[in-house]
Amino acid sequence: MNAAACGAPLDLPALLDYWLGDLAPGAVDSVEEHVMSCAACADELSGLVAVGAGIRRLASAGRIWTVVPGAFLQRLVDEGLHVRQYRLAPGGSVQCTVTASDDVVAARLDADLRGITRAHLVKLDAAGREVHRIEDIPLSDSSDEVVIIERTDRLRALPAVIEYLRLVTPEPGGERVVGEYTFIHTPSP
Amino acid sequence: MDVSDGELARRIAASAPGAASDVEAELYGRLAPRVRLYGLRHLRDAQAAADLMQQVLLMTIERLRDGKVHDPDRLGSYVLGMCRLVVIDLRRGGRRREQLLHDFVGDVPVGTSAPEPRVDEERLEACLARLAARERSVLVLTFHSDRSALEVGRELGLTAANVRVIRHRAIVRLRACLEDEEGTP
Repeated sequence: MNAAACGAPLDLPALLDYWLGDLAPGAVDSVEEHVMSCAACADELSGLVAVGAGIRRLASAGRIWTVVPGAFLQRLVDEGLHVRQYRLAPGGSVQCTVTASDDVVAARLDADLRGITRAHLVKLDAAGREVHRIEDIPLSDSSDEVVIIERTDRLRALPAVIEYLRLVTPEPGGERVVGEYTFIHTPSP
Repeated sequence: MDVSDGELARRIAASAPGAASDVEAELYGRLAPRVRLYGLRHLRDAQAAADLMQQVLLMTIERLRDGKVHDPDRLGSYVLGMCRLVVIDLRRGGRRREQLLHDFVGDVPVGTSAPEPRVDEERLEACLARLAARERSVLVLTFHSDRSALEVGRELGLTAANVRVIRHRAIVRLRACLEDEEGTP
């Protein structure tokens, strides 16, 4: 097989499943045989691996806003990253900041998630008006918190400011507020 | 060089040792990324994968020069078998690499493989921000430490099948965004 030809290219799900350990052992052998002989599929897999490595670097640098399980924060700590965490009860507020030594900043929003299958995060202005909404955040029904990783570059650029977050769940006829959380941000000196 | 891997292998086997250095360099460059991928997949460490790559390719070229690869058209299978043996050896703390480097490093054109591909991280960051929250979470949990769908599903309260669907959809959207050279992400 030359560098350009591939008679039976592996599809994206097969390559992802192979890379991430989701294939049965017999199927792993088959994918490895193919990739070792096929430059096109090796290139395709290399591209996926590069994207994955990029995501890993961005996540470790606090450059991705995302909702994660609490256990993920512990993995970052175990890696040696400096993770600044703020825990808030519903209706609570916190004085917060970010320093030059923080790799990742996270908010842990306590919430009663029993029976909730869908939830949205709503950012409000000081007058209580909605300014941004993140639909369908991932939830685990075994958890009693929503953990958000904020982008450290955004936080570092903030002046002294108060930000408001509301966690809501859709219900027939409207939305129910699960919790409201207030962040009183002060820039690091 | 528009010839098959097998043809390159035959040319090396037909030449005096070291006389086909351009062909050896071409074959090394083709196989290096594939062996490195195998190493990353099984060793999950970039330096270990680089060590594996160098060791396997030195041994392959040595065997080709000695005429010990009996079916050059199945060179991929041969190299894969070598990868499996060397990974076992590396895990046992084997010392073959040092001996091979001592014997061959001045003789075989090593280090001619293409650089490891990297994505534009600013663009990746912008493209990730465009994904749905659930897609972004699945990708971060998946790729931060290369976790299976089952492991990610346990953490997010999803089935492995559901994680695989979300993961696939997210990667397709992400790559489309990364490849869109016209618009801003």
